[in-house]
Amino acid sequence: MDQEFHRITFQRKENSFYVILAGRFSRKNFNIFNEEIKKEISSPQAPSVIFDFSEVTYLDSIAALTFFQMQKDLAGRGVNVQLIHLSDEAKGIFSVIHSDALEQRPLKSLADDEGFIQKIGQASLTVARDFADFISFTGALLVAFLQTLKNPKTLRKQDVLFYVQRAGVDGLPIVGLIGALVGLIIAFMSFLQLKMIGANIYVPALVSFALIKELGPIMTAILVAGRSGSAYAAEIGTMMVNEEVDALQTMGFDPVRFLAVPKVLATVIVVPILTIYADFFGVIGGMIIGVTSLDLTVQTYITQSLKTIKLFDVVTSLIKAGVFAALIAAIGCQKGFEVREGAQDVGKFTTSAVVNAIFMIVVADSIFAIMFYYIK
Amino acid sequence: MTFKEYAVPGANKEPILIVEGLTARFGDNVVFENIHFKVYPGEILVVVGTSGCGKSTLLKILIGLQPPFAGKVLYQGMDITRATEKELLSYRQNIGVLFQSSALFSSMTLKENIALPLEEYAGLDPTMTEAIIKMKLGMVNLSGYENHSPAELSGGMKKRAGIARAMALDPQVLFFDELSAGLDPVTAVELDDLIIKTNEALGTTMVIVTHELESIYKIAHRVLMLDKETKGIIAEGTPQELKNNAADPRVRSFFRRQKIVSPT
Repeated sequence: MDQEFHRITFQRKENSFYVILAGRFSRKNFNIFNEEIKKEISSPQAPSVIFDFSEVTYLDSIAALTFFQMQKDLAGRGVNVQLIHLSDEAKGIFSVIHSDALEQRPLKSLADDEGFIQKIGQASLTVARDFADFISFTGALLVAFLQTLKNPKTLRKQDVLFYVQRAGVDGLPIVGLIGALVGLIIAFMSFLQLKMIGANIYVPALVSFALIKELGPIMTAILVAGRSGSAYAAEIGTMMVNEEVDALQTMGFDPVRFLAVPKVLATVIVVPILTIYADFFGVIGGMIIGVTSLDLTVQTYITQSLKTIKLFDVVTSLIKAGVFAALIAAIGCQKGFEVREGAQDVGKFTTSAVVNAIFMIVVADSIFAIMFYYIK
Repeated sequence: MTFKEYAVPGANKEPILIVEGLTARFGDNVVFENIHFKVYPGEILVVVGTSGCGKSTLLKILIGLQPPFAGKVLYQGMDITRATEKELLSYRQNIGVLFQSSALFSSMTLKENIALPLEEYAGLDPTMTEAIIKMKLGMVNLSGYENHSPAELSGGMKKRAGIARAMALDPQVLFFDELSAGLDPVTAVELDDLIIKTNEALGTTMVIVTHELESIYKIAHRVLMLDKETKGIIAEGTPQELKNNAADPRVRSFFRRQKIVSPT
């Protein structure tokens, strides 16, 4: 099936140079016959070149285009060119080649219209628009929450439970594993430093302090942003592409209330729980190092861990986790609603949802750090 | 209503596709059972039927995307339902498919969409590839649109661009899923004209799944009608034959756009 037989004979008769073609001419043997013919006709030294197609059994549009271009090149050099004995099929194939189409300059597409300066301007406008969109979406979300509070029956409880399962229960293994590994690493690294001054006893306090005050909420939030924030953006984005969101609107539903509220609520419920879970496994991870390398008993390790932790720290950690959760879910949903067309948009806004959520988590954490310092 | 008058082309030649005893089922749900038909070179074969009769399933089997429950699809003596990956790849280089949504890659320009199969399988130099892209866009009346992205095109233009991409490697058989679905009547007619022009100029065999009657009357050389109840082909012939002479009331009612009236 892939073998293409062809034969080309070159003959000079009187004032004409004959190119007699036989067999099949297609993309499969294009490079061979193109080379063979071009070599011979580059300087035909005859006022006329005649391509004889009488023995051609198959010709595809790529081969026809090649002969068309050869004809044009030769004519441009003042050579008279004729294509003879074309079958009806071959004539049909030549009929789809339009010389004006081949010479048509590309029309300007929207992407071509932007110069460098315009692109910078567009990018700046996009940043400003993103911020305005987020503020406007936050407003819409708050209104939707207030309406849901006013009329709790409208809350889609089964959706909330579904996302609690998705974002929370399904995330337990990875959150636990990462928490334990981080606890283990902090304990090991601090042990290496503290043993030099004989302060090994402070390792449990350091691990629990770092995890509960900072790392637990941040680490959990980043994991949830990667797992669930992206999923929310992709889900709503795909619904935008499929006009499902438009359908909701035309049926009289507020898409924010219908799609975003259950997701945000579910995430705000599960992230603080996941944070406690990550903290717990972090302490366990630290304990593995404490018991195996620091010669501490389990009881001593726990006592030392609890010494530094105050109720205020736990409460603020959970408040932070709740705020991070709201940011992740809101940004994920908002980015999903920004999708307009196609798979590429879904990918773009999903990535943007994760990046923006992580950025906002860090910004919020900085604000909390200063705020809690003064409250304390 | 005007019908195509000429006879089915290629009917005296060896069939390009032979479907033998094809059965498709999802679990216990039989879509169609033991169907037989042939596709002749150069013909436009339209597969019709009411929703759920298995038209799209049949198309997926013919293009090698879905294995049947039983039966064969022979292309040049090779059963594509049992072909190796290599054989299937060779078959796929000889067919083109236009999906209902056109399925253009949204991250690429039209030029890149059409260049994709050419660069992968034709091994041509970039200048030649560029010339072929221009030729293919010219064929579908989209000259100059090579740098446009699919998002910048209307539904009809996307379909035409999809045809240009499907035609990139000069396939022997072109498959269309719901050719003019979702298009306005003027664009649908333009698309029908393009199909006829391409078929006549290049002799490309076409298998079209549709239920747009106007389109069927205009472009079909031959029609196959699938039926949900009998799970098989209930009629085969030219559109005119099926409209006027079909013995089966389901066929007549489909082609006359009437409800089946049961005898009282």
